Amino acid sequence: MIATIKSEWRKNRFRPAFLIGSGLTAAITLLFYSVSWYQATHPGSAESAVSILTLYPSNFVSNAMGAGFPLGAALAIVLGALLAGSDYSWGTLKTVLTQGPGRLTTWTGRVIVFMAWMAILALVMFAVGAGYSVTIAATQNHAIVWPAATVIVKGLGTIWLLLAAFGSVGLALGVLIKQSAAALGVGLVYLLAVEIIAVRFIDGLNNGAYKWIGDLFIGQNATALTQNFAGRTVTSSISAEQAVLVLAAYIVGLFIVAGGLQRVRDVT
Amino acid sequence: MENTTIVETHSLTKRYGSGVLAVNSVDMSVRRGEVYGFLGPNGAGKTTTLRMLVGLIRPTSGTATVAGHTPGSPAGLARIGSLIEGPGFYPYLSGRENLKVVADLASVNRKRVDEVLDMVDMTSRAGRKFGTYSTGMKMRLGVAAAILKDPELLILDEPTNGLDPQGMAEMRKLIRDIGQGDRTVLLSSHLLGEVEQICDRVGVISNGTLVKQSTVEDLIGQKGVVVKAEPADRAGEMLTRMFGPAAVSREDGFFHLKTDPSASLEINRQLMGAGIAVSELRPFERSLEEVFFQLTGDKQGS
Repeated sequence: MIATIKSEWRKNRFRPAFLIGSGLTAAITLLFYSVSWYQATHPGSAESAVSILTLYPSNFVSNAMGAGFPLGAALAIVLGALLAGSDYSWGTLKTVLTQGPGRLTTWTGRVIVFMAWMAILALVMFAVGAGYSVTIAATQNHAIVWPAATVIVKGLGTIWLLLAAFGSVGLALGVLIKQSAAALGVGLVYLLAVEIIAVRFIDGLNNGAYKWIGDLFIGQNATALTQNFAGRTVTSSISAEQAVLVLAAYIVGLFIVAGGLQRVRDVT
Repeated sequence: MENTTIVETHSLTKRYGSGVLAVNSVDMSVRRGEVYGFLGPNGAGKTTTLRMLVGLIRPTSGTATVAGHTPGSPAGLARIGSLIEGPGFYPYLSGRENLKVVADLASVNRKRVDEVLDMVDMTSRAGRKFGTYSTGMKMRLGVAAAILKDPELLILDEPTNGLDPQGMAEMRKLIRDIGQGDRTVLLSSHLLGEVEQICDRVGVISNGTLVKQSTVEDLIGQKGVVVKAEPADRAGEMLTRMFGPAAVSREDGFFHLKTDPSASLEINRQLMGAGIAVSELRPFERSLEEVFFQLTGDKQGS
């Protein structure tokens, strides 16, 4: 297992997709903060007023969360699909699988390194958010007050869980479809359209009798988790605890399904 | 006593779905230390067979033992190096980094990376990204990765595919060098000259079936002598007296004699002594190409 992790890390530490992904994560966070700052300092530029107080360091965890979903989630799907799918199109899967470690070991090593990258993206998101919030506070001559350490850790864990769950969707699609382009396309269409339409349809059936099914969809739980965090407006009926469990179940379930597929399928 | 066979298959079969029979009941044996040529036209089932030997594809039925283990088992793979259907590497990494990725996976000391780069003459180009390599350089890196483990068995699937004539010659020399000593090389190819030049034994596969397995010499068959002489009737009588009727045949005005070419001097002396004019006298040897087309049922040039 250690050999597989070492190899996967060597392969992915300078992978352009992950480096660009980190840059995009930083850019998304910067964009989120910049727009909010503009709206806070230009009353009337947004539908609802944005208070500058929400952009100070004490609230940076909540703001970083806003950057994490859905844009960060979409990025995670893309990275997962690229990581799993490109091994088929480059013909590197056969190189990997003929070196010695078993198929499940190889898959596990890959997923561990991917999850490490998701943690790096979460850290980038937090670091940029924290840095930008300090800049805003400094320009407003406002005292810099950080949130409690537990809030920061919980926030980081939450962002990582979101990225890991959506990244797992990308990974599984990459293995299932055996190429990256179609996998990331399917993943993004699901995130941005299919789930929204499906949940709306299910929730409307028989006066909401099947809403519990809609509450099991990955996007619904991600939304609930981000809303439940740090006192945001909660519109979802899903509790934070349930959301964490459902997202974790997605990670484990997709890991098993994709690993199983990789184990039993011929590499042609 | 150590087993002399390093690859052994029994009724190895691969069927895709309920239709295509890609490999049909192949019984193949590769001996330790030899360079074995796996010969067949495109689509004959060579790559599918090799993929089964390294565990990338599971057989529909039949068994295989490779380096003493079931195909695809970690213990077996640790003793096998392979290059199956072209090199597969990460285009954004350099040649050296790609080999380090493979070395980490195979738990091989990274010092070995520089050794194999030197063996395939890629040291000066190892820092360049794999995506910028020519076909020949990619193939060389593929061979380097295959020998990284210093394997007992090296499986190379059409390693000269896509190379220009000079690249092919260099690759053949490289394979000959690698195949020296105790290492076994299983080489698949549809290029007959390549197999004839490199291999000790060959297996010929056609439409998924192994139609012949023998040494190159046995496959080509008995050598002979071709004679053209006048008057032909008298020449025929004399040659029949010399070698017996079973060893002499006549075709298009030429006598084909089943005898060692070293008999040419005596044949010439006897015919000349009998007043028969010899206009042509040369050794005859069937090429592997002729045998191949005969075995696979293909017509040359079609």
